[in-house]
Amino acid sequence: MNDTLEAPFDVKDYLRLEMMPHFMCPGCGHGIALRCLLWAVHELGIDKDKLAVVCGIGCSGRVGAYIDANTFHTTHGRPLAFATGLKLARPDLTVVVITGDGDCLAIGGNHLIHACRRNLDITCLMLNNEVYAMTGGQVSPTTAIDRLTTTTPHGNAEPTFDACRLADAAGASFVGREVTRQAPALKNVIKAGLAHEGFSFIEVMSDCTEIYGRKNDLGESPEMIMSQKSDMRPEAFGNVADEPFRANRLRAGIIAQRDRPEYGSVYRLRAAAEQAKAKAKS
Amino acid sequence: MSAVPEIETASATTASARTTNVMIVGVGGQGVLMISKALALIGQKQGLQVKQSEVHGMAKRGGVVFSHVRFGAEVWSPTICKGEADVLIALEWAEGLRWLEYLRPETGVFIADTRRIVPPFACRSRRRGATMAYARETPAEVIDKVSEGYALDAAAIATGLGESRAGNTVLLGVLSASMGVPVAEWLAVLEMLVPPKSRAINHKAFEAGRAWAEAAHNDSSLRFDAGFAADVTHADLPEVSVRLDINAAWCKGCDICVKLCPERCLALNEYQVAYLTAPQACTGCHVCEWLCPDFAIEVHTTQKVPMTVSE
Repeated sequence: MNDTLEAPFDVKDYLRLEMMPHFMCPGCGHGIALRCLLWAVHELGIDKDKLAVVCGIGCSGRVGAYIDANTFHTTHGRPLAFATGLKLARPDLTVVVITGDGDCLAIGGNHLIHACRRNLDITCLMLNNEVYAMTGGQVSPTTAIDRLTTTTPHGNAEPTFDACRLADAAGASFVGREVTRQAPALKNVIKAGLAHEGFSFIEVMSDCTEIYGRKNDLGESPEMIMSQKSDMRPEAFGNVADEPFRANRLRAGIIAQRDRPEYGSVYRLRAAAEQAKAKAKS
Repeated sequence: MSAVPEIETASATTASARTTNVMIVGVGGQGVLMISKALALIGQKQGLQVKQSEVHGMAKRGGVVFSHVRFGAEVWSPTICKGEADVLIALEWAEGLRWLEYLRPETGVFIADTRRIVPPFACRSRRRGATMAYARETPAEVIDKVSEGYALDAAAIATGLGESRAGNTVLLGVLSASMGVPVAEWLAVLEMLVPPKSRAINHKAFEAGRAWAEAAHNDSSLRFDAGFAADVTHADLPEVSVRLDINAAWCKGCDICVKLCPERCLALNEYQVAYLTAPQACTGCHVCEWLCPDFAIEVHTTQKVPMTVSE
């Protein structure tokens, strides 16, 4: 906490009040994730006019619509591609991508790994609710084994994706994960990700009560949100591919942070060098 | 003074073969085991048989630690029965009261530190300024009940000497005044037990405790800690006024705030909108505000409440 946050955080300062209440179902964790993002933005003292939020498609894609900043609702799976162009053209903006598990890992999986590799200064918030909720509850890359969805009526047989390991391996210079139950901790991880220079991948363990929780008998939203805490183990970061995803083996907090050259600055240096060379020739 | 049987050397052939029972209680981290070890060594040095047993499992969490030390010409059982302890040394006030029934009713000596270490479950009301559910007996009342009692703020004496953790040695000094063992022997035992860097402070603490006890033997008005306050409160935390604003138009009745409120002071009304059932119970912890997915709850406190959720 620094001196700039003398003004207490009021989430209403950052919301498009005319659009509230938001469209999300009762108990959806995405609302908590949105609060934590805005809270982190407030604590870092980022100007709303200098904040650009790029969203994909899905429940997570609608989250950005409620933020009173520069928001961009893009095509399915491509928010990272749009954000890359935006950040390269306007390096003065703080670019945040809000995406979902299907949007980020399935449809936009390739964009994710290359965004991680490139290490452009973007903060990618992946709201993981383990299901394609907006389209009716189809299986997603992060759906746990044996879970029921509309496309896996006998239980999901596919191994689960660990997005943080993927992003870490692909070269993201900041990888974090937190549950919505721990809202202040989630805020701190997002804050660290926003402050980090380079590609920050943050997996937010959200929950879908209406489409996923009810079908799998996981209880109502309070039960789902309370179970999140026991899903997290700080020490566990083993191989989760063949195990039920949330079975007490996810590491929370900042998982990886490393110094790598930020792509935007490297790109601009090269461009300036080329321009100087061309000028010398003419 | 006379209540504690003087330790007889093994060569003494008097009929005082009865075992001396000393019970030491406290909470984790206070040094219960250190002074029981010192006592056991003293017993051994007198050529007596010593048996010592202890329970210290939950000690790390501030849990109960107790130790039985028995010495005599021949000791059979390692533990002390209820009502048979000749001396009860309590390093924490409520622990002393808890084990009081182990003290021999007619001759037992009670030596207690009036320092209070309040366990978390005693803070049932988390409102600022709330009284904690902790023993209210004053030292004067308790000393009145036992045959011979000494209650002192040993922790404060030790802190005055420069090391708050030496409270146990202060109590050992108090005990030593009731036993006929020369001071030099006690100090030799302490020297054996403590690491070199803390020898000086333990020596000072022991002397301070012994001096206090000698004064208290002469003047019974000194035997209890007069500066003892009966109630334990969150004294350093001022009362905060809390206002909860619930935006009924935004609330979707998801029940998260109702189930996750630590004080259980929220409920849903007939329209499935959250409302505050007991405004006086609300501590302003902000959990409902943080976890409301619909931004429907705003917590306003008159002052900044420290963040309490673990991270």
